Amino acid sequence: MTPAQPVPAQPVPALSVEHLSVGYAAPGGTVQALRDVSLAVAKGEVLGIMGESGCGKSTLAAAMMNLLPAAARVTAGAVRLNGTDLLRLPRAQMRALRGRAVAMVFQDPMTAFNPVLTVGRQLHDFTGAAPAAIAAMLSRVGIPDPDRALARYPHELSGGMRQRVAIAAALLMQPQVLIADEPTTALDVTMEAQIIHLLRDLRATFDGAIVIVTHHLGVIAELCDRVAVMYAGEVVEVGPVDAIFHDARHPYTRALLACDPAVVDPSSGRLPAIGGRIPDLAHLPPGCAFAPRCAVALPECQTPVPRHSPTPDRTVLCHRGAA
Amino acid sequence: MSFAADAPATRRGLWRALVAGPMGLAGLILVVVFLTMALLAPWIAPYDPVAINVKAKFLTPSSAHWAGTDHLGRDLLSRVIWGARLALGIAITSVGIAGAVGLLLGLVAGYGPRWLDAILVLIFDSMSSLPMIFFALAVITVLGPGTTTLILVIVAVSVPGYARLIRTQTLTMTGADFILAERAMGAGPVRIILRHLLPNVVGPLVILICMDIPVVIMLEAGLSYLNLGVRPPAPSWGNILAEGYTSLRQAPHVVIVAGIPLVLATLGFTFLGEGLRDALDPRGAGRRWT
Amino acid sequence: MTPVLHLANLSVDLPGSGFLSRLRLPVLCDVSLSVARGESVALVGESGSGKTTLARAVMGLQPTSGGTIAFEGEAVGDRHGLARLRRAASMMFQDATASLSPRLTVGYLVTEPLRIHGQPLPDPDRLARDLLATVGLPPAMAHRYPHELSGGQARRVGVARALALRPRLVIADEPTAGLDVSVQAEVLNLMADLRADIGLAYLIITHNLALVRHVADRVVVLYLGRVVEEGPTKQVFARPAHPYTASLIAAEPKPDPRRRRADLAIRGEVPSILRRPQGCEFHTRCPIVQDICRHAAPALTATGPGRQARCHFAANQNQQGEHHAMEH
Repeated sequence: MTPAQPVPAQPVPALSVEHLSVGYAAPGGTVQALRDVSLAVAKGEVLGIMGESGCGKSTLAAAMMNLLPAAARVTAGAVRLNGTDLLRLPRAQMRALRGRAVAMVFQDPMTAFNPVLTVGRQLHDFTGAAPAAIAAMLSRVGIPDPDRALARYPHELSGGMRQRVAIAAALLMQPQVLIADEPTTALDVTMEAQIIHLLRDLRATFDGAIVIVTHHLGVIAELCDRVAVMYAGEVVEVGPVDAIFHDARHPYTRALLACDPAVVDPSSGRLPAIGGRIPDLAHLPPGCAFAPRCAVALPECQTPVPRHSPTPDRTVLCHRGAA
Repeated sequence: MSFAADAPATRRGLWRALVAGPMGLAGLILVVVFLTMALLAPWIAPYDPVAINVKAKFLTPSSAHWAGTDHLGRDLLSRVIWGARLALGIAITSVGIAGAVGLLLGLVAGYGPRWLDAILVLIFDSMSSLPMIFFALAVITVLGPGTTTLILVIVAVSVPGYARLIRTQTLTMTGADFILAERAMGAGPVRIILRHLLPNVVGPLVILICMDIPVVIMLEAGLSYLNLGVRPPAPSWGNILAEGYTSLRQAPHVVIVAGIPLVLATLGFTFLGEGLRDALDPRGAGRRWT
Repeated sequence: MTPVLHLANLSVDLPGSGFLSRLRLPVLCDVSLSVARGESVALVGESGSGKTTLARAVMGLQPTSGGTIAFEGEAVGDRHGLARLRRAASMMFQDATASLSPRLTVGYLVTEPLRIHGQPLPDPDRLARDLLATVGLPPAMAHRYPHELSGGQARRVGVARALALRPRLVIADEPTAGLDVSVQAEVLNLMADLRADIGLAYLIITHNLALVRHVADRVVVLYLGRVVEEGPTKQVFARPAHPYTASLIAAEPKPDPRRRRADLAIRGEVPSILRRPQGCEFHTRCPIVQDICRHAAPALTATGPGRQARCHFAANQNQQGEHHAMEH
């Protein structure tokens, strides 16, 4: 059994998000996709960003690469890579960094590739690496017979293979930060297990930071050292993975963990759900966004929510967080 | 393939989008003006369009004759108004019939058995390889000029294009999940074609029809100009233009008076078509990232 | 008791595309399965297993190349049989929103099955409201269009529509796909309630094993279009007889950082149906592969009461499966 990696004390953040707020103009009003989000991930660490649809995790992943769509407006905050604010870099400099210092692996491996070029050609064009280095990397990500794979076209590879190639492409640039946005969601169960395994193995040789964005609790538990839980555009809880899964402080985190069918005992009959729906991000309630659905809401949950740190390595955005 | 992902325009949303853009709005106004003119011709035309009054020929625009008179003393305004009735009547009728026939044939070709599709496509391809003008002239030679002939020609020439458009849309949609779901429930082909395919494929056709109306108006005007279309003394913008051309030196106002509504009507329908196309475009800007 | 659904030796071949069009590619091979009245059977498999093809074949959306489909004891081969099936069985599609006709209102869509089958519909609004209430949706939903619904709502509308004719069998294709964990339960609890209330039988197609544990009485595992294991859910999960089943169970990521899996039981990936392995089709990835597996295809044999597995070593696997299924 592999124990979870110990949390390094006072790590140097490779990538830090500082009080980031992002909104979109929409017909119904400004949609607040991210509100005052602060996170950091250190070299050698795996950070998981966990949340359901509408929580803002994909916007956050995009912001980390400065790949937000044109309609998005950064209303506050910064994304720092080794101290440099990526969001305020001139375009040319940002382009130089993107893919090199910060690399991303997307959810759908099919659309990440140009269908008319061979895999080897694309990897070479993208990374400038020699075929030998590319083949070595393909082998490292577990692709059998890398030389033949180089000559293949993307559609000739299965989803799992393509995802591996995408990871290889990202790693060839030797980035400081690797972001994986729903890396296994489009894959079958056995493929998913293999990719999880691959990502775990890579930690032995890849010394950068890894950020995994997903709604899949199992993936987070298997891979991450620290977890940030998001809801309605905010980070509601951050902590070491064991603490989050076994001692969650935020009511949403607890409710979410309780709902996962993999956790619930089958003989109990009914599965728990979280009633209600996520709030309209254009018209958020004044206090806690989760309060309308929270089982333990207090009257003061209608007021702005404080962020507590019950232990030095954890934060909780909740009126009850100090407990 | 998910079709529901493109939120289809609801009537209210469509209307709002249409009148939001200046082009759509201008087009709509012009079209409404001409439609009103056409519908109310018998009541708003000040004079009888075919009433000859040789004493009053070639009068320039005045308070008695707002657009002046032609070489036979006929009131030009009235002729133009009745001309609108004719032009729009022919255009809308022929394009409407062609649209309906094209829609039906396209749906059947797209959803029906493959052998039927093959036959229909063969027919469409053959018909559309005939250039419109020559085909029109040939038919007119055989059947003689007149309104009915004109409508027939336009329908025959337009149907293949519409049918092909609808067929392509239908073919794409046949594999959609909701069609499969309907089949799984036991829905028959008629229900599927009329209730589920038709409303979803008809959008681009409406735009195309709208853009074809000015083409037909021009065609009619052109043929009438050549004396191959509407027979005089019935007023058509085309034959008013023709008659005005011969007397260009003496009375230039005739040509202008006939030309202006032609241009405006054409522009109006074109703008309306463009406006519709923009309004029906599923909003794709700024994909939501959450 | 006659099973609601009985598939016997069902095969489906698909024509190849392009220059392979002369070939017939087997997608489902000799599949037999039964669903009893009020029973919930899960059909589990990954991509290439043929599970969606099977669902479509049952509903008559996919022509078959062999075998029979019997609904409530009567063969569904001809148009008449198919019509009977479609009146008494309904299907829920994987993409719930896409399975709803985009330009029709929810109210129309949930009552459409009655219109299709010529059932009297004196008060469509009332029926729509009742059906929506059954699935926990407010009456106002009847005026919405499919694109205005969330994933969970669309799925519930799908259930409402599937129930309109009071079917005896519902085939659900990935009923929780695309749903957040917090709303999965809504659909699952609903399905469970309906089963309890009206004795509805389900054939649930899924690759989500957690779901299977919760809602299925029996599970059928498909690999490359063949049944490789079948049996009561609890038993199969506790002691899988087939190495593939064991691998699937072992491959599930566990939402508990204290119980991380040290090793994978399975290597490689699902072979393409264009190049089916010789002998046992799973031998290329099997952790306990032996020589015989490369040459001889095993038959489906009974490994216990109500259980079958297609493996030369299924009996041994009962003991080994215990080892695999437990966490390290």
